[in-house]
Amino acid sequence: MTNACGVGTRAVQRALQSGTSGLRRNDFAPAASLATWIGRVDAVDAARMPDAFAAYDCRNNLLAQLALEQDGFVAAVRAATLRHCAERIGVFLGTTTSGILSTELAYRARVHAEAGVGEALSPEHYRCRHSLFATTEFVRAYLGLRGPAATVSTACSSSAKVFAVAARSIAAGDCDAAVVGGVDSLAMSTLFGFHSLELLSREPCRPCAVDRDGISIGEAAGFALLDPRAEALVCLKGAGESSDAFHMSSPHPDGAGAAAAMRAALADAGLSGGDIDYVSLHGTASRPNDAAEDRAVAGVFGAATPVSSIKGWIGHTLGAAGIMGALSSELALRLEWLPATLNCAKVDPAFACAVVLQSRPMPLRRVLCNAFGFGGTNCSLVLESAA
Amino acid sequence: MMPLAIVGIGVCATGMANWAQARPVLLSEALPRLDPLPRLAPEFLPPVERRRANATTRLAVSAATQAVEGVPSADVEQLATVFSSSDGDGEVLASMLAALAQPQVVLSPTLFHNSVFNAPSGYWSIGSRSRAASITVCAGAASFAAGLMEAQAQVRATGKAVLYVACDAPFPAALASFARGALPFACALRLVPAVEAPAGHQGCIDLSVRDRGTTAQEAPATDLQDRFAGNAAADALPLLLCVAARRNAHIALPWLDGTRLWLDYTP
Repeated sequence: MTNACGVGTRAVQRALQSGTSGLRRNDFAPAASLATWIGRVDAVDAARMPDAFAAYDCRNNLLAQLALEQDGFVAAVRAATLRHCAERIGVFLGTTTSGILSTELAYRARVHAEAGVGEALSPEHYRCRHSLFATTEFVRAYLGLRGPAATVSTACSSSAKVFAVAARSIAAGDCDAAVVGGVDSLAMSTLFGFHSLELLSREPCRPCAVDRDGISIGEAAGFALLDPRAEALVCLKGAGESSDAFHMSSPHPDGAGAAAAMRAALADAGLSGGDIDYVSLHGTASRPNDAAEDRAVAGVFGAATPVSSIKGWIGHTLGAAGIMGALSSELALRLEWLPATLNCAKVDPAFACAVVLQSRPMPLRRVLCNAFGFGGTNCSLVLESAA
Repeated sequence: MMPLAIVGIGVCATGMANWAQARPVLLSEALPRLDPLPRLAPEFLPPVERRRANATTRLAVSAATQAVEGVPSADVEQLATVFSSSDGDGEVLASMLAALAQPQVVLSPTLFHNSVFNAPSGYWSIGSRSRAASITVCAGAASFAAGLMEAQAQVRATGKAVLYVACDAPFPAALASFARGALPFACALRLVPAVEAPAGHQGCIDLSVRDRGTTAQEAPATDLQDRFAGNAAADALPLLLCVAARRNAHIALPWLDGTRLWLDYTP
């Protein structure tokens, strides 16, 4: 797990446990005119792509590589490859913009240089850096895997849905194990795009707060190995997916689609609401999103189950939001510890849910995490401690 | 593994505005003239969404609508969907890139929400009032097979119907180097477990990752396939030809690493 709070899970854990947000004032040069806060991963700027993968050199793939090299992940995949062989391990990753920044910058340079159309970007540039499959292709090649692969791109639910895809792929016999994850890096499209919708906060985002006024965009990469034959500390118990059928960029006000996803995840896990000890919210800090999610969560779980959002720590990492939710939930389960909803000083009095304001130890067996996105796409995951 | 039956089918492409028009084109000995598609305005979408939707959404929805013809709307509301596209909407991408390159960036909110890869899925769920699961995947040149594999895995996991929609359209001139296809192509397949298929279905498919053949067995590309070369969604053409001809087939689909996956079709 790599995000604005740190490179590698241990660094992220340190930041979470010391109450340190990774957000900062926007200093991302291509979008420097925007008065907002961002969750930037500095280490990407210093990262270098190995020569063998030069064609894949772009911010998104560098961020992916940085995360792959943490937490013993490459070694874990190598061990899985020995168990299953490379042809039987799938790769399913979520992203919303992949390496689009590389094309945005090329376009901008061209216009600034007033050089007319200039030299067209090559098909290889598009395939290896910009296209939505680029990072999945890169990660698959970097890990030496040859099983089925796909990019899931359903806006901000992308890297939650990859868990469902991988579980189905394994169940259908298309692969025996799978690498899942999500990678999204800072880009002009998303920063200016959310600005155009007036969804960016001018301050660090404040999920669930009475004074919340928008999101902070972050970048992140995270991966997990799903392997039915491996011993694990945390297991995927169920996944649920739904659509809002309401609006392209606003959630259903009552959270009806979100509630359907949570109920579907519980049903898939064979559990009921009372079996869940903690809900990791999508919690972006946009006014309508948090309100709709509160209604949905309260409808499914009642008001007693503790809930929190990690967006105040790392920002909204878009296509990586699902995997960040899943990996921070995995951390919570391992540590038996609830992360606070950072930056939330006073919970919106209209909210019914028990929003966690102070990080605290708590025995945890099962966690549900949410990821919702534009197009009214919803996904919920149930994770369970094997201990 | 359990095969899947095709119980609904739709096509929307140059020269083939719908399945009825596509059949004679698929079955003709010599390639007929392929008329460009008119501007699509699928009535399936509410007027506001119809006006806002991007071109690939209107293309995908036009194919998808055919595949649910005659299905009660209550069932369409329960129908899970899988969308695939190699490249998404090029017009939207070109407009975004042009706007972002200006000294003063001004983006339209509608353009931004239309830029998400799952835009066709979002509009479809609004038009169908469906809260069912929907996913959108890609895998470069293997996108058609990757989407079909996910749709097949869903039918096998749930035992329920899934609507699979594959759609790719040419990129505008400014981005011509990115996507090779020159013609738009979308197709939709409504799939159910074969054991539950009603009489009169359009045949059964079974996609396998197990290597059961070599490229040597592969049928040569037809003139029609050549016209749609580079359009990943048009990898559906050999299957559609066999459906139209009611002919058994062992079809090679472009897959990852330049390899092939094998799709069995029985009428």
